[in-house]
Amino acid sequence: MAARPTIRLTIPGTLEYRAVAVRVVAEACRMVSAPGVERTADGNAYDLRHPFDAEFVSAFAEIFNNIAIHAYQRRAAVDGGEVDIAIAVGAGELDVEIRDHGKPFDIDAVSTPDLDSLPEGGMGIHIARALLDEVIYEPGPPNLWRLHKQLSPSPTTAATTSAGTSA
Amino acid sequence: MPIQFQRTDQGDESTLRIAGSLDVLTAPELMPTIDQLVEEKRPRVTVDLSGLDIIDSSGVAVLVALYKRVRAVGGHVTVAGARDQPLAIFKLLRMDKVFSI
Repeated sequence: MAARPTIRLTIPGTLEYRAVAVRVVAEACRMVSAPGVERTADGNAYDLRHPFDAEFVSAFAEIFNNIAIHAYQRRAAVDGGEVDIAIAVGAGELDVEIRDHGKPFDIDAVSTPDLDSLPEGGMGIHIARALLDEVIYEPGPPNLWRLHKQLSPSPTTAATTSAGTSA
Repeated sequence: MPIQFQRTDQGDESTLRIAGSLDVLTAPELMPTIDQLVEEKRPRVTVDLSGLDIIDSSGVAVLVALYKRVRAVGGHVTVAGARDQPLAIFKLLRMDKVFSI
């Protein structure tokens, strides 16, 4: 990913900063899914009309939640934990690497949730895995997440016509 | 992106409109309203998500909790209007069938 233009961002590993990272990733997604297209006039809403953007952002947000809540155990604001994000924009693909210095965990121990039982938790990793082509986790320190997704030629999972609205 | 929500009652039916972002940060804001709906044993609750732009697993969890708790006190929950990213997440988690979207 060194040969590609890379956006680097370091932010506190707290949920309060999640929106900053999500917005940057959403814009990077747009560079892949709709290069050269002007964004909507509404600057308050994420523009997630393209399924690629919606899926990548959804997965990224879950991983960020996981880092803030589990790796840093909601203590990053106190302990100074940071998240380093490297976003490599490619032609028709996006790679994001996320590093944290929080508590590592065993991703292989994360099971697929029993969706029929209407779970109220444990869905984050499942969402990320289902929506991306590749989710690799290497326990650290630093812990490293590698997220990869190719732009599909035929979007299937989300609507592409209705406009996003402001919050 | 913040959350906006509003409860309106008409007869036996309560409508809860949720707009913006329902996520790990904003989902807890809904809890007092959900507690009230459960406490009042509202017979019919419609959750209108036509203004919802984005949801995460915590947002889904709070809707599942609403669904389970209202049903547990004899009520019926309908989820309507989901679109774009929230609809894709519901389908991924097979919640679209539960919520009859």
